This record gives sequence, structure tokens and C-alpha cells, in this order.
Amino acid sequence: MKSRVLVVDDDTALSEMIGIVLKSEGFEPTFCADGDGALVAFRDEQPDLVLLDLMLPGKDGIEVAREIRAESGVPIIMLTAKTDTVDVVLGLESGADDYVTKPFKPKELVARIRTRLRRTDDPGPERLRIGDVEIDVTGHNVVRDGERISLTPLEFDLLVALARKPWQVFTREVLLEKVWGYRHSADTRLVNVHVQRLRSKVERDPENPTVVLTVRGVGYKAGAPR
Amino acid sequence: MRRVRRAWRRWRAWAVSRTRYVVRRWRSSLQLRVVTSALALGVVAVALLGLYLSVSIRDGLFEQRVDRIERENASMTEQVRTSFSNSPATSRSDLQLLLTQMVQTLASSASSAQDFLLLSAPDQPQSLADTGTQPGLKDIISADLREATRATDGQVLQSVRVPGQYTESEVAEPGVVVGSTVEVPSLGTYELYAVYSLQAEQETLSFVQRTLAIGALAILALLGVLTWVVTRQTVAPVRRAATVASRLADGHLDERLPDAKGQDEMATLTRTFNEMAGNLEDQIARMEELSAAQRRFVSDVSHELRTPLTTIRMAGEVIHASRDELDPAARRSAELLYTQLDRFEILLTDLLEISRFDAGAAVLDVEQRDLRDIVTAVTDSAMPLAETKSVFLSVTLPDEPATADVDPRRVERVVRNLVVNAVEHAEGKPVEVTVGVDADAVAVVVRDHGVGLAPDEIERVFHRFWRADPARARTTGGTGLGLAISLEDARLHAGRLEAWGRPGEGASFRLTLPRRAGIRLQGSPLPLEGPSKGVAAPPTGQLPVLNPPTGPTPTAIPELGVVDVDGVDIAHAPVPPARPDVDEEAR
Repeated sequence: MKSRVLVVDDDTALSEMIGIVLKSEGFEPTFCADGDGALVAFRDEQPDLVLLDLMLPGKDGIEVAREIRAESGVPIIMLTAKTDTVDVVLGLESGADDYVTKPFKPKELVARIRTRLRRTDDPGPERLRIGDVEIDVTGHNVVRDGERISLTPLEFDLLVALARKPWQVFTREVLLEKVWGYRHSADTRLVNVHVQRLRSKVERDPENPTVVLTVRGVGYKAGAPR
Repeated sequence: MRRVRRAWRRWRAWAVSRTRYVVRRWRSSLQLRVVTSALALGVVAVALLGLYLSVSIRDGLFEQRVDRIERENASMTEQVRTSFSNSPATSRSDLQLLLTQMVQTLASSASSAQDFLLLSAPDQPQSLADTGTQPGLKDIISADLREATRATDGQVLQSVRVPGQYTESEVAEPGVVVGSTVEVPSLGTYELYAVYSLQAEQETLSFVQRTLAIGALAILALLGVLTWVVTRQTVAPVRRAATVASRLADGHLDERLPDAKGQDEMATLTRTFNEMAGNLEDQIARMEELSAAQRRFVSDVSHELRTPLTTIRMAGEVIHASRDELDPAARRSAELLYTQLDRFEILLTDLLEISRFDAGAAVLDVEQRDLRDIVTAVTDSAMPLAETKSVFLSVTLPDEPATADVDPRRVERVVRNLVVNAVEHAEGKPVEVTVGVDADAVAVVVRDHGVGLAPDEIERVFHRFWRADPARARTTGGTGLGLAISLEDARLHAGRLEAWGRPGEGASFRLTLPRRAGIRLQGSPLPLEGPSKGVAAPPTGQLPVLNPPTGPTPTAIPELGVVDVDGVDIAHAPVPPARPDVDEEAR
């Protein structure tokens, strides 16, 4: 089955070009040209992934990302012409999983999409414990005190990556490679922002984390199971 | 002894600090200076005036008194002479009695003189004993006075100090002795001396001087208070203006002086000052608006340019991917389009980055990182390039962590830029990257042994679009903005980026960054020149990151005994066939 990708971009030439590339790579693109219609298009099309331009007529990309995230964990990749810290961080904090800076290469875009659509095909049932949180990897389920915590696929991947090797401290670069699929060094802010988002969901007190611990100057590690 | 010395030292330290404090106060307070100089001038003027008054009053009192004494003494002398000449006495005892009676008469007379003496002239042979109300007083009459008295018919005056034992008050008093000669029948010439006290005049004078002193002190105090008040009235607004001006200088642009009414100088100063501050605020607000507009423009241009470029780029790649289906001319065009788009994109990125710096919109995104990790990552990724250029790339890292609060994206960009530059200009000779650390700073030095830089080139190397060798630059494909951006990146960290070079000996670039915000860089943990001569051997104790061009085990360390790790041999080692890219063809 072809993965459906919703492209939200006001530049029709670029949308069409992205469409050509995606089709040739075996995806099924659908389009939306403004921010106001994005949520409707998202509900109609039920895409597997959203490519979202940050600057849109009507509602801007950040607002759209927040709305989509409010009702779904579908991966969102921002298309951004800005590399300024504030915009990127704002986009990530509003719920985007990853971002590609214009001008990007088609291969880069496709690689980003593939990573986000990649589903870990696990050999058997796997249950992990990290802090006071229990993870059912196969069932894609995270539970604390019998209560289900809803995570986006990316946050789930991040948590599982940490929980699988509780003895290891992960540098941001390693996490970028494992979770985001970056081969070369990329923007470590991706990790910072998503660790914050993950903490806000799985920690009882995000100020004093017990599930995802910071190792100052190195990176992150899983908290001891309790 | 030691205690004394210590006490002395302590005292000296105290005195020095005290002096410094006073000097500082003196320099910093206009009011203190004005009051002090007014008082100093006042003291001198009052002292001179007081001295003059006191001297002239003293002289006046003295002369008046002496006049009176002279007149009184003259009439008295006349009386005595008359009595003596009328005296019938002839026998010695009668004469003695006569003299004694005379003295007593004089003493009980209304004369203002306190004591009298009748002394026989020393050349009188049959003289009688000297007579006087207080015979001891004879001592205060000097020989000079006696001689002068004898030599004249008139009176001779001399100021004396009457010792306490002869005065009523029993303290020494100033006085005057008046001498004259009288003829005593049958005995010849006698000297008559009258002693007048000037104590009353002395007391008057003391009283006047005391009054003068009190007056002077009062005047000085008044002067001090007056100047203090006056300067306060003038200095206080100036001081207020100074405070407000320094607040303005600190960036509090809305600071103003309180409104002053009236037309005087202070009011004018206040008004003009506030006008000036208002203008300044307006100007700066306008500048800020301009800067914000510039920033918005940069951001907009960035977006507007990048979106079509993305489309072009993707289209170019799609065409490039299917170039085999095209005819030769179109194929070549597709290839050119593809590679030039790369260049175009890098150039655009660099341009936007530079204009972001110019607009002051560059933001430092700081986190604590180990410079060793950044350098290792960069050199690892620069290996393929070093390989194609057959450059021996070595890295020397310190044993202790070189952590610093930096923006890793920017630092990595700077280091990559320096390393890539060095490799491209190394001409096959080794490139050494050294990381250093000390308490305040971390540093990385990238040293090559290539063409080098002339002194005038070192100055221009950070200029925008400057190229060391215009003919070469086209092939290496740099934008000419790399070092300019690196310099801005270093500055953004409050760090430094410096260049060194000598023609034929190579060049060296040093990036020094403070470890934490707020540290002001003094020096650098590393010398700018880096290792002085090429690596004779890889630095011991460190794993050399070697870069053998080919071979089955590219990460193995070559046996040092066999391979001459001189840089030269490796440079001559077999090189893999160059990639058939445009860069090579353009060469």
C-alpha cells in the first residue's frame, strides 16, 4: 500500500515538484495550498505523513501543526526557509517531528519521509520498563500506573531507543541517527525540543525528570526502572 | 622590632588608602574643590589683613603711650632737677637722705611710672650708694642705655621686659625705661631712670587681637558655608545632569531631567539637555526601526528566494537523474545545472548568513560542548576531501575535556571552514589541527604548510569575497564568504579568530573561545603559529588520525619505522583517480 503524504504549501510550483518526486518514489501525494484548509484536508485524506510549510497564507504552519497534533500523532515534517533558532524551535515545540530547510535535495526530503514512516518491525513481543513507565513496544503502548500515555510515533521511538539500552548514555548525535535517521551531524535542537515534549508527557514532574535523565555535557539516558 | 615594622607597614597601608580616598574625593567632587580653594584663599586674605591690623594697632598704642611717657618724664625730670638745685644738703648723710627722700617723693607722686632709680655715674669718685624703689631693677638697665643717657641732656628711651619679681602681677611685663641725668649738689651727675609698665597697652592689644581672631574665624566659617551653599546650588543641577547623562549612556533612553522653571542658565541647560535626549531617543528608535525592517527584509528575501530555488533544485535533480536518456548536449547541460545549483545555494546561504550578522539578527544558541568532539566530528567528515587532495591530516587533542558554552552549529561551521580551507591550500603537505584548553578559554589551531599568506594578505583574509588566489579559487568552489562568516561567528561568542602566515611556509588560523559567557579573553591556550615545522612524527601520546590514501585497512596506524611519516611520502603515495566532477575539469 502506498503511503499518503499531505503537502501543505502555498507555492504551487514547489508543491507540484514535490508531488513529482514523491510519486516517482512511490508515495501518494495530496495537496493543500493554505493554512485554513489544512485541517479539513488532513481529516479528509487521513494521510500517513504531513509536509508542512511554515509560512502559509491564512493560518501559519505553526498553528496548523498545533491543530493536527491536538488530534493525531501523524508525523509532521516542516518545510522551512528559516534557520533562525526561534522559528525552528517554535515549529518543533508546536508538534513537528522534524524539519527540512529549503532549498532541500529531493533525496534528503525522501530520506526524511522514509525515516518517519519506517515502522519498527519487531520479532516478538517486547516489554520495557523505564522509570515508573511501562512500554509495550509491539502494542505501541505506554502505561504508567495502569494509565495509558499517548505519545506520537516519534516520541515513542525516542523513548524506546533510550529504554532498550538503559545502561547507555546517548549523545544527541547518536539519538539523531537512531531516531531521526541523520547520518551526519544535524541540528541537536531537534533532540532538545523533543526530549522536553516527551518529558512533559511521561514525567510526573518535568522539572525533576526520573524517566529521561540529562547527563550534563553528554546527553540523555533512561531512568532506572522502579 | 618586627612588631614595629608590621605596625609601620599597617600604618603606611592605611595612610596610602586614606590618601587615595582623599585624592579620589578631590577629583570626583567639584564642590569639594571649590569650597577648599575658597577657604584657602580666605585664610590667606584674612591672615594678611589680621596681621596688618594687629601690627598697626600695636604700633599706634605704643607710640601714643611713649609720647605720654616722654612728656610726663620730662616734667618730672625738671622737678627733680629743681629740687636738687634748691637743696641745701652738703654732708654725705644729708645727701643720702636727700636721694632717698627724692625717690620716695617720686614714687608717691602721681606719676604713672612704677619704679624709679637714681644711679650715680660710674666716673663719680665719691658717689653714694644707688637708690631706687626696687634697687634690683638696676639689672634691667643696660650699659648701652646708661651710656646713651650720660651722653645727652635729654631723655633716652628703651623698651624692656620687666621680670615678674618686680611687677604687681608677678609675671613678666613689657615696659619702657626712660633715662635722664640730674645734678646732685656736691655729688655731681646722677642718672635718673623711671620704669613705665606697658601692661595695660599689652592687655588692650591682646584683647584686640583676640577679637580680630574671632572675627577672622567667623568670616572664614561664613565664607566656607557661603561657597558650599553657592556651589551646591550650581553643582547640584550639574550633578543631576551628569547622573541622567550616564543613565542615558547606559541605554535608558527615556531618562530626563526634572523640568526647571525660569530663564536662568540651569533652566536652559535642563531644557537643551532634555531636547538632546529626546532627539537621541528618536534617532535610535528610527535606527531600530530601520534595523528591524532590514531584518524582516532578510527574512522575507530568504523565504522568497528559497522557495523557487527549491523547486529549481528538485527539477534539476530529476532531470539530472534521467540524464542518460538525453542527448549529449542536454546531458552536459543537466550536469552543469546540477553542480551550479549547489554553488548557488551555498552562496545564497552564506549571503543570508552575512546579512543576518549585519542586521544584528544572529542569535547565539549556547550549550555546553566539548570542543574535542566538535573537532573530531569535523575532521572525520573532512577525511574524504583530505583523501582526494592527498593531505595528511593530524589532530592533537588535550587529555582534559575542552568543554565550553558554545553554539555547536556555529563552532562546527568555523572549524569545518578552517579545516577545509587548510586542506585545499595545503598543496599535499600535512595539515595539523590542535585543540588547547586553559582555565578561561578553549582554542583550536589549524595549521597548513602550503602556499602561505603574505602580511598584507593576512589583513584581508577575513574580507568578504577576498580570495588568496583568484585563479585557484574557482576550482575549489568557495564562496569567498567563509572566513568572514567564521569571524562573525567567533565575535558572536566574544571569541577571536586570528590568522598567521608566511609565503611558502603555510598559514595558521586560531579560533579562541571563552569557556563561559562573561569571560574576557586575555590570551589563548595555544600559540597562533601552531607546531613550528611540519610533523616529523605524529605527536606522541595521541592517536594520530592518519589518512592513507588507499589500502585495505584505512584506519590502521602505519608502522612508523617503515613508513616515513613526513607528510611527503604520504603525499606521494598513490592517489585514487580524481572524481570526474566539474571542479576537476575546470582545473
